[in-house]
This record gives sequence, C-alpha cells and structure tokens, in this order.
Amino acid sequence: MYTANREYIKRFGPGRIIEHWLNAGVFVLLVITGLAQKFHGYDISQWIILLFGGIDTTRVVHRYSGIALGILTFQHILVASFGILFSRWQPSMIIHLKDFRDAVDNIRYYLGLSEHPARCDRYDYKQKFEYWGVVIGGMLMVATGLALWFPTVVTRLLPGQLIPVAKALHTNEALLAFLVIVTWHIYNAIFSPEVLPLDTVIFTGKISRERMVHEHPLEYERITGIKLPPHHEGHAAAEEAGTPSS
Amino acid sequence: MNIQKPHLIFSVVLAALLSFSVAEAQLSETDQACLGCHQMDQSIKFGSGETLSIKVNANDIEKSVHRIIGCSTCHGFTADNHPQRSYKSKKEFSSLSARKCMQCHDTKKNKIHEKLIRESATTTTCTDCHGSHNVRRVRELAKGNQYCLTCHSKELEVHYKDGHRERAMVDEAALNKSVHKNLSCVDCHVMVSPEDHPVRQFQNKRDFSMVMAENCRRCHFDKYSRTLEGIHFKLLTQGNAKAPICSDCHGTHAIASARKDKLANAQRCEQCHKDIYAIYAKSVHGAALINENIEDVPICSDCHKAHDNAGPHTANFRISVPQICAGCHAKKEIMQKYGLSTKVVDTYLQDFHGVTMKFYKQFGQTDKQIAVCIDCHGVHNIVRVKNQSAAVVKQHLLKRCQKCHTDATANFPDSWVSHYEPNIKKAPMVYLVDLGYKIFIPFMIIGLLLQIVLHLWRYAVNR
Repeated sequence: MYTANREYIKRFGPGRIIEHWLNAGVFVLLVITGLAQKFHGYDISQWIILLFGGIDTTRVVHRYSGIALGILTFQHILVASFGILFSRWQPSMIIHLKDFRDAVDNIRYYLGLSEHPARCDRYDYKQKFEYWGVVIGGMLMVATGLALWFPTVVTRLLPGQLIPVAKALHTNEALLAFLVIVTWHIYNAIFSPEVLPLDTVIFTGKISRERMVHEHPLEYERITGIKLPPHHEGHAAAEEAGTPSS
Repeated sequence: MNIQKPHLIFSVVLAALLSFSVAEAQLSETDQACLGCHQMDQSIKFGSGETLSIKVNANDIEKSVHRIIGCSTCHGFTADNHPQRSYKSKKEFSSLSARKCMQCHDTKKNKIHEKLIRESATTTTCTDCHGSHNVRRVRELAKGNQYCLTCHSKELEVHYKDGHRERAMVDEAALNKSVHKNLSCVDCHVMVSPEDHPVRQFQNKRDFSMVMAENCRRCHFDKYSRTLEGIHFKLLTQGNAKAPICSDCHGTHAIASARKDKLANAQRCEQCHKDIYAIYAKSVHGAALINENIEDVPICSDCHKAHDNAGPHTANFRISVPQICAGCHAKKEIMQKYGLSTKVVDTYLQDFHGVTMKFYKQFGQTDKQIAVCIDCHGVHNIVRVKNQSAAVVKQHLLKRCQKCHTDATANFPDSWVSHYEPNIKKAPMVYLVDLGYKIFIPFMIIGLLLQIVLHLWRYAVNR
C-alpha cells in the first residue's frame, strides 16, 4: 500500500525475493558443474571437477541442481498462472508491441536521436526479455537435461538421434544463458552506473521513489495517481492504464 | 682377465713345438717303418660296411705333440707284430682306440671328460675333438666360439635328472645368423670357460632354461626390470614354471630381433595362448597380418606390451585402452593407407564416455568402469565396420550397449553419432542446432554488449 510521503515503494514480496535467491543459487551451481563438463579440457574445469570429488559427483550435483531448477520453474509457472487466473494478478510480464517500440525508442535515445528514454511500466523490455529467457530456457534445459540423464527411456519411444540433438541444445543453450547472464544481467544489476554498486530491489523488495519515477514512470503514475511532468514525446502514455495494485 | 694365461701357455707350447721340429723333424726308425706301408692309399672295411682310410699323413705326426711317443704306444702294433683285427663299426674302432689315451691321460681331472667317458664312451670318443694323428690340445685347434663348437658341433647329449636326454649340439649356421653372432658362447654360458667346464646337474630342461635365462639381464637389464612388473614374472614367482622366460619368446642360439618378423612374434604368444590367437587370426588385424602380410597391424605385444605386460584384467589396462588404440588410429601416416579416419580417438574423447574415462584416469579412479574402444569394437575379434550394412552394425552395437545400458532398446544405438563430427549428411539435426547457436550466440552477445556500450555512452553524455 502506497503512501505519498515514503521515500521507498514496495516492489516485491518475500516469495519473489526467495525465488530469486534460489534461482540464482541453482543457476550458479548448474553453470559451475555444467561448464566444467563442457570445457573439460581446461585446468579450471579439472580443478572444479576435482573439488566436487570427481566427474561422477559433479554430475550428480549437476543433475539434482537441474531438478531444483525444474521445480522452481514449474512452481513459478503454476503460482503465476493461479495468481493471474484467481487472484487478479496483473499479467505484467506479457510482452506487448509497446516493448518492441520501447526498445527502438531507447536505442534512438542512446544514439542521441531522441530526447527522452522510453517510458516503461512495471517491467521494462529488458526485464521481460530476461524473464522469458529464464523461463523458456529453463524449461528447455530441464527437458534436454532429462533426456541426457535417461537416454534409454527417451529412446524407448522416440528416435535415438534425439539424444545428440538434446545434447547440442543443452550445451549451446547453457552457454548462451551463461553469457547473457554474465554480460547483460550482471551489467544491469551491478555495473550499470544507475545501480552501481548493486541493484538491491530484488533483495530488499523496495525501490526508491527516484528510480521508480525514472525507470517505471507508467507504473508510478498508475499506483500513485500523480501525473509526472510530460517529458515523454512520441507515444501515448496512457496506453497501459490499469487498476492500481492493492 | 683370463685371456693372458692361455695366450702365455699357447706361446710356450708353440715355441717348444717349433724348436722340436727344427731339431728333431725326423721320426724314429720304427715309425718310419710303419709309414712305409701306411703312406699308401689303403683303406679297411668295417663290419657295418663303413670304410676308413688307413693312410697316415707323416706331416700330421711330425706336427703333433705325440710325434715322439711312436706309433706303437697308441696302436700296440710293431712292424714284427701286426695281427689282423676286425671291428663292427668305425665308432667301435675309434672308441676302442681311444681307450689307449687313458693309459697316459688322467680323464678324471676334467669333470666333463670323466662324465662323457662314463656316460657315453661308445658314442663320444677322445679323437672326436682332439684328432688322432694330428692330436692337439683343443685350445690349440680352435679359438673363441670355435673352441666350444669343437665338441658342441658333435652329437652330444645332456642328461637331466628326470631321465630326459637332449642334444647338446649347437647349430653353427643358426648361431651365425642370430643377433648375438658377435658374442662369445661364454658371454651367456657364464659358468663355463676354456679352463673350466663344471658338470652341472639339472632336474629337467626347464630348470636349466630358467637358470640360463637369468643371464640375459647381464646385458638387457632394462628389459629384465620391466618384466618384474609383468604378469608372466608374477606367475613364475608363484611357482608356475610354464610361465614364459626370455628364451621362450626370443629363442636361444637362433635368437633374432623380435621386431623383425611380426608374424613370428605373434606366433610366440600362440604357443601358450592358442584360443586367443585363433580369434585374433580371424580379426581385421590378425587376418591382415597373416593373409596379407601387412605389418602395420598390431600384434599381441603392441597392445599388451612385451616385457611389462601387467595382464589385461587390471583396471589400469582397461583405462589405457583408448591410448593404445590411438597409438595407430590417431596416426595419419598409417591410417591414410587404409582410408581410415584419425578422428575416431578425438570424437571418443569429446563424447560422454571419453570425457568420463579421461577424468577417471586423471583422478586415479581406475576402479570405475566406462565404455572404452574395446567395449563396442571387441578385443581380439575386432572386425571392420565399413562394408557392413548399417542394420547389422546397429544390431551388434545394441548388444554391446546393453552390457552397460541394460534397458536399452532398438532405437538406442542411434543416440551415438558414431565417430563423425556432426555434419549435414550424418547428423543433420545436431549439425543444424550447432550451426544455429554458432550464429545466434555471437549475434545475441554482441548485440547486448553494444547496448551496454551505448547505455554507458549516453550516461556519460548526460552528465
């Protein structure tokens, strides 16, 4: 519940905070144990595998971390679906046409072709891109990982060639996810001058009014009812006018 | 060290001989009388039908050490008393004649003489080695190996305690063809020398061979020390006398380089490992060696090692299999002759099994099992995969897969893209997925990095 005189605005409840912690932990474990297998020739990989007690235990850790990721992804989808269907949650993660326009506008702004950045709602296009990357990528990784874990079960009904295909998908998608996280996510959450030294919102659950106004002006206007100074040229601001969250 | 002594004796004898021959070149009158008849071409006939020339060369006698004792000392005849005698055979004649030698020569002084006379006086006689009219010390007749061969080129026998008898004759031609042709007999037969030939008694031939094989290490110590790690040595120490020793594989007098003739080398193993050799002979490797004489193929010792063959049932051996196969299958110069790919080793090492094997090996977890080359291809029965229908290969492969993946079904073998780098023909789906990511990953990451750079630039400009 928002009150006008507060410096901070509540953004995430404990559920989402814990979910992020768990996802981050499992992701780190998976990346360490997985990339060490993918790049098994490097000294650092061999050091990691030895640290886990050999290739077999490394794989066991990787597989059970994978199960944890599967559970996290599955429960997230369930919770989100139920929330949207029965608790009147806003499906604020849905990608709209506006997100593509926002991306173009932002790049125009970066290049100096436009005076102002895109005006975003609860989640900007970068966050949506990452979110769906994690959800869809996670499902892909879990599915292909299970196929590699139980190849004889998969090939009982499906053609054998799917196993090397699953391996190709799993290993490439893993590398992609890892690279996106270390460049894009780490930049946006740590090194971006706007958040340096750390974007604490996902850990504390609250965002400063200043950042809210700056980064999520549409949501700010909606939940406070305060109309921000019109420094937004181009597209209509009232496009996403929804009901304030309670 | 001992060389000087015989030389000294020899020179003294030679000097004495020379001085005698100058002073007393003439034979006694009695002997001259004998030669009166015995310088003519005559021969006598034995009961066996053999003939022997009784012509005596005066020159031989003049040079021999016996020239001063006169013909009758040995023959018993004089010009006045020359009875007619008949002998069954040449051998009987010479063995009876040789008895005369013992009148002067103490045969018990030399143990090997004593033994020869005791055991085979009728087959081996003094004159066989020492000559008759030109009688000499053997040492004067021959040097080096020829000294030994003076006796050992003859029909001699050795007797073992178990009653077994064996020829002690050495084939000089084989000796001269061997790799040891420049060595002396005594280099290996260390217990004997021209001065001393002790009589040794062995229980059986195997005992003798085992004792003799101990001498190989005097030169080949590196090989010997490797055998200490081998399974054959282990069996020997456990009391299995059938386990091979050096000479069982390398031979004795006809010893040859084991590397020269691969087929002969493999056949040495066959002596004991008949069943395995029969399987090997039918395999792609064995058939090429035996039928086509292709020496690029491995023989037993190429995989199992010769001296430090620790046996194939050790975990260390299993885990070293890919390395053994890679010894040939990763070598372009060998593989291109037969149109084979050298990628087989790398594709294995990059795959699940290969990676696992590598880590087991690296961390010394050799007790753990993972598929290596032989688990799919077989061991001694390796066959060519090319030229066979894919269905047959797949069917065979499934059985091999099922050794570990017990619940594998007919589709399962296809999950192995075989030893190919994925390409559009062999594994199109894998190839396309890889290709897609190869393009997509750089595209995505470069795009994101550009956005970061732009963002930073905008931020700097705004300030």
